[in-house]
Amino acid sequence: MNKFLKSTIAAIAMIAAPLAGASAGALDTIKEAGVLKVAVPQDFPPFGTVGADMQPKGYDIDMAALIADDLGVKLELVPVASSNRIPYLTTGKVDLVISSLGKNPDREKVIDFTDPYAPFYNGVFGPADIAVKGAEDLAGHSVGVTRGAIEDLELTKIAPADLEIKRYEDNNGTISAFLSGQVDLIATGNVTAAAIIERNPPRKPEPKFLIKNSPCYVGLNKEEEAFKAKVNEIIAASIADGRLNAIAEKWLGIPLPEKL
Amino acid sequence: MAYKFDFGAIVPHWELLLDGVVLTTELTVIGAVVGVSLGTLGAWARASRAPVISQIVGIYVELIRNTPFLVQLFFIFFGLPALGVKLSEFQAAVLAMIVNLGAYSTEIIRAGILAIPKGQIEAAQSLAMNRVQIFRYVIIRPALKKIWPALSSQIVIVMLGSSVCSQIAAEELTFAANYIQAVNFRAFEVYFVATALYLAMSVLLRWVLKIFGNFLFERRSHV
Amino acid sequence: MSEFTLWDIVYNLLLAARWTVLLSLTAFVLGGIVGLLLLMVRTAGNPWVMRLVRGYVELFQGTPLLMQLFIVFFGLPLIGIDVSPWIAAMLGLTLFTSAFLTEIWRGCVESIGLGQWEASASLGMNFRQQMRYIILPQALRIAVPPTVGFSVQVVKGTAVASIIGFVELTKAGTMITNATYAPFTVYGCVAVMYFLICFPLSLYARHLEGKLRHVAR
Repeated sequence: MNKFLKSTIAAIAMIAAPLAGASAGALDTIKEAGVLKVAVPQDFPPFGTVGADMQPKGYDIDMAALIADDLGVKLELVPVASSNRIPYLTTGKVDLVISSLGKNPDREKVIDFTDPYAPFYNGVFGPADIAVKGAEDLAGHSVGVTRGAIEDLELTKIAPADLEIKRYEDNNGTISAFLSGQVDLIATGNVTAAAIIERNPPRKPEPKFLIKNSPCYVGLNKEEEAFKAKVNEIIAASIADGRLNAIAEKWLGIPLPEKL
Repeated sequence: MAYKFDFGAIVPHWELLLDGVVLTTELTVIGAVVGVSLGTLGAWARASRAPVISQIVGIYVELIRNTPFLVQLFFIFFGLPALGVKLSEFQAAVLAMIVNLGAYSTEIIRAGILAIPKGQIEAAQSLAMNRVQIFRYVIIRPALKKIWPALSSQIVIVMLGSSVCSQIAAEELTFAANYIQAVNFRAFEVYFVATALYLAMSVLLRWVLKIFGNFLFERRSHV
Repeated sequence: MSEFTLWDIVYNLLLAARWTVLLSLTAFVLGGIVGLLLLMVRTAGNPWVMRLVRGYVELFQGTPLLMQLFIVFFGLPLIGIDVSPWIAAMLGLTLFTSAFLTEIWRGCVESIGLGQWEASASLGMNFRQQMRYIILPQALRIAVPPTVGFSVQVVKGTAVASIIGFVELTKAGTMITNATYAPFTVYGCVAVMYFLICFPLSLYARHLEGKLRHVAR
């Protein structure tokens, strides 16, 4: 079975191989065409969603615009879903994927990633007047969490013995519990926290400490070193001059963390 | 764009795919058995002389046949909890398949019933058979035999349509494929494999239905 | 996020519904042409061609349309043929629709008695003439109701075209739901719109069916 698979792969690779030689550097092609094509989400607020005019908007869209601006080219947005965003890239239908991509070793075999451009983490959040800096400070407090979510599993591992974890059936339950003061703190994703902040409640969930960090990266095709270096340069510059921070505050309601 | 295929990257996830195949099979089998039974009842109601029941069933059939399965699924999954009925993803998916196939098979079986010559029924009446007996021996069996190919096709269509259930996180074959490609970004490879699995399942399902049809109608046709 | 008014939702869904209609029409017209060609070569009787067509039908009826579109749109570029979403949609939907139509129509042609073939052959007609003057006119009458009925399936089937970037009715519905968190309103509207497109077709199919039964008596 494996042998058959391997020979099939070899055969297909041979058909595909001539294509590889044909591609010039992506950066040159983009500059020449004057257009940067970027795959963005339209079903994942606040990173990508649509307005009443059905135009994409969100953190990822602003990031795409920023990169196109710095390259001095026009931006063409291609709305994608999680099932087709990678094929769009690997078949050359887009130049970049900015679609809240997380990184893992398997994924890195298929495409390349730039430096991180957006925070994406699970953490403990709470009002400003509660001083908590790490798991050990949680003693004596109550934390609300959604049952079975990643943050539930991770928090249970690191929690001190006398921490009261209150588990709710879904995100809405967790959010209501926090807003009504039934729990002091909540453990959740920064995106959920952003959604709470957007409602402008009296109890604001500010980030206390990280549980699990998996920031978002820009995805691009392999063997595009020059292009990758250029995008990394743009990301670094936008962090330095505060433009990326402005995007984070606009869509996530929280400034960029010190280190992404 | 030097894309290199690596079907080997799918191999570590074979159990997920297998689970997906099993769940798709479960959805299809339960959906087919209960759905066709519902369709038989529906066809009876449509053929009955009670106009109200016949009309209610008619509305059900038209509503289902003229809206997409996905929308029906969403209404069952998100809608019923609002009425206090909490369903798991699997229960919602099964219910949606039953409701959907029920409507289609009502229509298909009804067509078969309409094709039964009136003389047959009159002959049965003159033998003093009661309504249930007539429906059972004179109407439904020959009708089912006549429309079995159409019904089989519809069951295969519903099996393929079950891929939509991935959208409410019922972990059938398409869900497994989506999950695997989200982990390792091997979308081509995993969708190729999923497509081949669907093809194999539909060929197999068609074959099973054919054998089952033969068993049902040929062997006992002398009854 | 209340920036969507009910009117915005309906308006945007209506815009997207244009794609649904356009894709359905394309699929139906092109699929019909190809289906007819396949039917011809299949009925003409070369056993190899017959087997080939049967394999074709089996393949495209036996796999989800979603996967077919995916493979056409993203698979062809891998062997060096870049296709636009339109070409991919046309190709994929045509393959799918023609497989079903060919099968529906085959049943209709086969329901024409063998005597008709023999009688026309004894009049010295060749295959083309038999088809043109004897078989198709009769088969067509039986074929119209199930064909119109199948068009309803095509309309609903176009929903999967979102995998290759078309924002048609269902996709627009999902996008707006994600922005408004109002699944009931949005999917309610989506369901109504599909119903408004499909129900007239269903009614028409039923009407034709009734007419046919009437004539047959």
